[in-house]
Amino acid sequence: MQVVVSEKDGIFICRVEGEIDINTAVQLKKAFDKLIREKRDKIVISMEKVSYIDSSGLATLVELLKNFRKYGARMKLAGLTAKVKSLFEITKLEKLFDILEKEEEAIKAF
Amino acid sequence: MDDREVIIKAEGIHKAFGENQILNGVDLEIYKGETFVIMGGSGCGKSTFLRHLTGALTPDKGRVSLLGKDLALLKEAEKEDVLKKIGMCFQSSALFDSMTVAGNISLPLREHTKLEGNVIDIVVKMKLELVGLRGFENLMPSQLSGGMKKRVGLARAIVMDPQVIFYDEPTAGLDPIVGGVIDKLILDLSKKLSITSVVVTHDMNSVFRIADRVAMLYKGRVVEVGTANQIKNTENELVRQFITGQPDGPISFMQTGDDYLESLTK
Repeated sequence: MQVVVSEKDGIFICRVEGEIDINTAVQLKKAFDKLIREKRDKIVISMEKVSYIDSSGLATLVELLKNFRKYGARMKLAGLTAKVKSLFEITKLEKLFDILEKEEEAIKAF
Repeated sequence: MDDREVIIKAEGIHKAFGENQILNGVDLEIYKGETFVIMGGSGCGKSTFLRHLTGALTPDKGRVSLLGKDLALLKEAEKEDVLKKIGMCFQSSALFDSMTVAGNISLPLREHTKLEGNVIDIVVKMKLELVGLRGFENLMPSQLSGGMKKRVGLARAIVMDPQVIFYDEPTAGLDPIVGGVIDKLILDLSKKLSITSVVVTHDMNSVFRIADRVAMLYKGRVVEVGTANQIKNTENELVRQFITGQPDGPISFMQTGDDYLESLTK
């Protein structure tokens, strides 16, 4: 799994690629440490290329959301595949996150 | 059925404990995503067989393939990797009395992963929600009913997102309603999370509520395998006697023979 971060007009777009599971969830969390430390407040996590996410991955996203909310940052998810989206639904997390179909929509929504 | 992916395969499993031959050549294939029930009377070897499927016992003869890997050929670390992908729900729930509900559920994550405590706490909450026990994190096992303990055991079994869950007598000792709740939960988790479920039980209500397919074990052998409907309508007398609970039939529960009086005076 890898996370590539880019910035456009103060919005930080984090493109995640690969599987987010028990082995990679720690790495995912670390990839956002810098953004949290620098108190970046507009975050898009683009998940078009995430093929699978397990409970530890979902929990890591919840933990990131909590960390961002602590200083008033907003975090949006975009590009979830049908399979990944169904995992959000099973765990009832789809209502917790601001989820948009496409990355561009998420950027525009700020 | 034949084009489905086989996720567990047992071939010619033999096992003896001392002079007692428990398994006499068990062959079974379990497909990905199905709920497979292994039924049979007490002492027929079904729990022993289950322990072979989970790698807890090694057969005297025969082999077990789990998630496409022959358990006997794996090095210890490789075997551990395969076993991390399965969950086990024990008959007794097997909770640690000295730990809270959250402590019990999170144990596999704390033992086998490097996840942060905060993330583990969130996973525990998600699993408790799935088994209908949200808010019970800080209770001790002694404060729970039998059915609740089973559900905590189930939450622990799914905490690592297993591909297969093995259940040993999941409804034993529960009243019929709580037994029904556990069965519903097994079905829900199987369907929602696409988990393969292997259930050992002799609770006939449970068998026909949850099973896609059923195998009956008798004297250490599989005597019939089929869909729940095929088993319900079978003409196999061993299976029919078991399903209907008739005391008389080919399955004998009483020791007979002329050596009784002799054994008293030996």
